Amino acid sequence: MPAPLAIDRGPRRPRRDVLALLALAALAGVHPGAVAATLPVPAARFIDTLGQRVLAVLNDNRLDRTARLERLASILDEATDLGLVARLVLGRYWREASEAQRREFVTLFRRLLLKTMADRLDTYGGETYEVLAAQAVDDRDTMVATRIRRPGAEPIAVDWRVRDLGGRLVLIDIVAEGVSMVVTQRSEAAEIVGRSGIDGLLAEMRRRLEPAA
Amino acid sequence: MRTSVSHNRLIGVALSTLLAAPLPAAAAEVADPLEPINRTIFGLNELVDVMLLGPVAQAYGELPSPVRTGVRNVLDNLRAPVTFVNDLLQGETDRAGNTFARLFINSTIGIFGLFDLASEFGYPKHREDFGQTLAVWGVRDGAFLMLPLLGPSTVRDAAGWVVDTAAIDPIGQLAGSEVGLARAAGEAVDTRQRLDPVVQDVRRNSLDPYATVRSAYLQRRAVEIRNGRPAAGERNYEAIFREENDNAGAAGD
Repeated sequence: MPAPLAIDRGPRRPRRDVLALLALAALAGVHPGAVAATLPVPAARFIDTLGQRVLAVLNDNRLDRTARLERLASILDEATDLGLVARLVLGRYWREASEAQRREFVTLFRRLLLKTMADRLDTYGGETYEVLAAQAVDDRDTMVATRIRRPGAEPIAVDWRVRDLGGRLVLIDIVAEGVSMVVTQRSEAAEIVGRSGIDGLLAEMRRRLEPAA
Repeated sequence: MRTSVSHNRLIGVALSTLLAAPLPAAAAEVADPLEPINRTIFGLNELVDVMLLGPVAQAYGELPSPVRTGVRNVLDNLRAPVTFVNDLLQGETDRAGNTFARLFINSTIGIFGLFDLASEFGYPKHREDFGQTLAVWGVRDGAFLMLPLLGPSTVRDAAGWVVDTAAIDPIGQLAGSEVGLARAAGEAVDTRQRLDPVVQDVRRNSLDPYATVRSAYLQRRAVEIRNGRPAAGERNYEAIFREENDNAGAAGD
């Protein structure tokens, strides 16, 4: 009913259609045409599969909150290289950090991500996505463009940066409406390290993980 | 007397930080020499948000979504003249034509902008302001600023806002200050309502909310100035992901 008010534009195609087309294409042994000349790119398939797995967990009503979070955590560990992402986030300070500091940073980084995911879980409300395009940035990285649709709100453009680590694909950045997670977290980390050193950053991360008073 | 002392100290802090001009954060390209003052203003804005804007926006969020979409559309339509003028100033004639068509369609059959029929007809919405125009003309951001009530900005974007408000925007001048104020309040509530999940998320999970807001604002502005082209391929963004090459060997994970 909000149809005449909707502001979306561009190639609009619900996921169902994409899947149906892909299934048809698979049967016919040809690549799907207009929708996704791009989908056969491994990185795009990787993100599509990741999205399907996450949605399957979110929509599985048999799972309670804890079970759901456990599943999401294992998907996260599988689909990303958190050591690599943590390194990107710490930037030049990674080189200055001791072995012990690095190890603790990666551990805390992962726990904070999981906490953020847990907080967001409660705001999930029937979002769906569509994979729009994939473009290689260099010989390792590909940006996969998607659109997340939310009931009763404007869709959000989200780009996923996928790196090919010698055949294994991992997600290394998420860019929502032009705001990159890695860039933003780098800025936060640099700010705190600049003020109170790497130990100060680790202390702040530990503090964030304490249950709210 | 006491106030003048603290006032002087504030100015002293401002001057010394301006002169010292600390290096910008690794990922941000914009210097933040006024950071201590900016952080104070950020704290005050947060207070206003918690006490007033947040609760109002939350109440507003209870309205049915078609109603909110209608309000959004009216606000966008009121904003269209500013976008149109800035499209022209940037030499973007196609986009200016698009904005003009939107203004015409939505103001007439869209019933004072209530319905965004122009989007349905293939005239998508976009937004320009004089800060973006200055950027297109080659003016750099200047220092990062946290403005009272208005939130994150830069010297360039704040100057752009003044020009938009005082010289370009016809609504405030033609319709009087009450309409201008009502529109500003509407913009604030609507924007805050749409950003609510992000605001909650930053408050709960950011290690440094001020740094998060600063970084996100600068990234968003960069995309707006590039007229929506994504970050991939941008020099500063790509540098982050290449840099990792250098120390990957040292990584002991």
